[in-house]
Amino acid sequence: MSRDDLRGLRKSIDASFRDFTIEYGDSLEAFFDPLLDFLIFSERLLLNTPWPLMIAICAGLAYTASRSWNIVVGVVAAFLVIGYLGMWTDTMRTLSIITVCTIVAIGIGIPLGIMMAKSNRVQAVVSPILDVMQTMPSFVYLIPVVMLLGIGKVPGLIAVIIYALPPVVRLTNLGIREVDSDVIEAADAYGSSAWQKLVNVQMPLALPSIFAGVNQTIMMSLSMVVIASMIGVKGLGQPVLKAITNQYFAMGLLNGFAIVALAIIFDRVSQRYGMRIQKHRQGGSND
Amino acid sequence: MSFLSTKRVSKTKSILLAAALGVTSSQVLAECGNVTIAEMNWASAEFAANLDKIILSEGYGCNVELIPGATTTTFASMEAKGQPDIAPEFWANAVAVRLKAAEEKGDLTVGVQLISDASEGWFISESIAKSHPELKTVADVLARPELFPNKEEPGKGAFMTCPAGWACEIINKNLAKESAFNLEKAGFVTVDPGSSAGLDASIAKASQRKEAWFGYYWQPTANVSKYNLKLLDMDSEFDEKNWHDCVVDDTCESPKRTSWVYSKVNTVVVTEFAQKNPEVMGYLNQRSYNSADVGPVLIYMSENQANGEDAAYFFLKNNEALWTQWVPADVAEKVKKSL
Repeated sequence: MSRDDLRGLRKSIDASFRDFTIEYGDSLEAFFDPLLDFLIFSERLLLNTPWPLMIAICAGLAYTASRSWNIVVGVVAAFLVIGYLGMWTDTMRTLSIITVCTIVAIGIGIPLGIMMAKSNRVQAVVSPILDVMQTMPSFVYLIPVVMLLGIGKVPGLIAVIIYALPPVVRLTNLGIREVDSDVIEAADAYGSSAWQKLVNVQMPLALPSIFAGVNQTIMMSLSMVVIASMIGVKGLGQPVLKAITNQYFAMGLLNGFAIVALAIIFDRVSQRYGMRIQKHRQGGSND
Repeated sequence: MSFLSTKRVSKTKSILLAAALGVTSSQVLAECGNVTIAEMNWASAEFAANLDKIILSEGYGCNVELIPGATTTTFASMEAKGQPDIAPEFWANAVAVRLKAAEEKGDLTVGVQLISDASEGWFISESIAKSHPELKTVADVLARPELFPNKEEPGKGAFMTCPAGWACEIINKNLAKESAFNLEKAGFVTVDPGSSAGLDASIAKASQRKEAWFGYYWQPTANVSKYNLKLLDMDSEFDEKNWHDCVVDDTCESPKRTSWVYSKVNTVVVTEFAQKNPEVMGYLNQRSYNSADVGPVLIYMSENQANGEDAAYFFLKNNEALWTQWVPADVAEKVKKSL
């Protein structure tokens, strides 16, 4: 392709995208308004909850999910240190956006994974899209998203979800496809409908795999926190960015460790929960 | 190849001619030799470096090499090693104290103000400036937060500051304080765009959709020229002590209202080079333009995704009346021939 043609191509792509943003930007923004309200609500909720209550809730959740006192002690200690070092507000903001991300990713990812498992054609279409989502450098789609939706939480959330969604979709698909065909045959023999088969047989058996997917999704959304703060998402990413620009070593390290602490908490709790589900199943069967 | 060889012939010819006549231009050719020019990593500086490169190599017969760099790294290298020879567009405020010291010591020469009206400050988007022509000063804007709605905090106005970590982020934070412009009381919240790409995208988005935008930016830039952003009058005296001791200091608690510090955008030259090359210095000391001259060049760069060299040729082709004043007639002829 000649230099002029290439330049012409780039210009026309840019121009058509610009026209698109001018034409549909407002309605797209309006479409995402409920999501923004939800994000603001969740952030306010976390920020306005007094810290002892917040720690108690987190510890309670950790215990319910993991039934492990070690993990509960770890959670409480991590949050106390984070608060003591003055990173409480940023941590709550990050926690809020990660929670919303996880909910949205599960809400989209599990149904999509089921659809992929049910139909080879869907799988053939969705797989390459997931590949693109995982490997495309974030800044390539961050700026167009900002052009459409402006600076702030919603474009940040979209960027995080684009990156973090694939594992839960893939592992849901995989989990369901790997359910033993004998089991499916037995379910068919008992005359279960497709829905009964899905809900009572395939999903429970795929649960460990799905849980691994959710776990990975949470981890990946945490790793996107810094990138998201490059388009104005408040939270732990912001001080990290500031530290990178100014070579503030200690500031970067502390906030980096706060992100790591959140990641470890999420990881251990969800892994334990996944293991507990599996244990229960193994105990129930006679293998 | 043919282009190269004719160029060489003409150069040899002119040397011979000059030698035969014994005129001063022979000294230029003999002395100029190798020149290194700092090419800073933003659009207007890329353009300035390439403009100098073309004029010095085509007009004065220098052998020019561009050295990429950023403000602080380039300055450190010029200060310590005397290389590169010329930094065409040097925003001096960032290293004001050290530059002054180097100038007094005689290592570096601060030349002409390259861009006469370069400035930083608080801008508003064209659409709001047109629909509300009464918005002329910062105080006017601060009185109308409802015109600049912030989506994430309904009822408040949005002020777009610099990305976290930039020097201007501290300045904006201080100017927003109660003792200065008191943005909070006016009903404004400060929004961090996160990165320079985020800041630019927020301007592009607001301008393309004709939305209101209020925030920090600087000129000359493609964004200011392309989207016709309007610089607000800060409507306060500049007090040097207040600025240097407080406004730029992260820990200062009671900054006072002030206008933005004057942006010194000079050509900085290594003194040794300046003394050896009076002819080149004659050009460098004449060369100066303003935002209106360079604006179209920056728009051309951003719209065509063009590099500094393309931009310099674009400028030389379209602004002949301006640049021919900077150089003697014979040099101008040579540059014109090369276009």
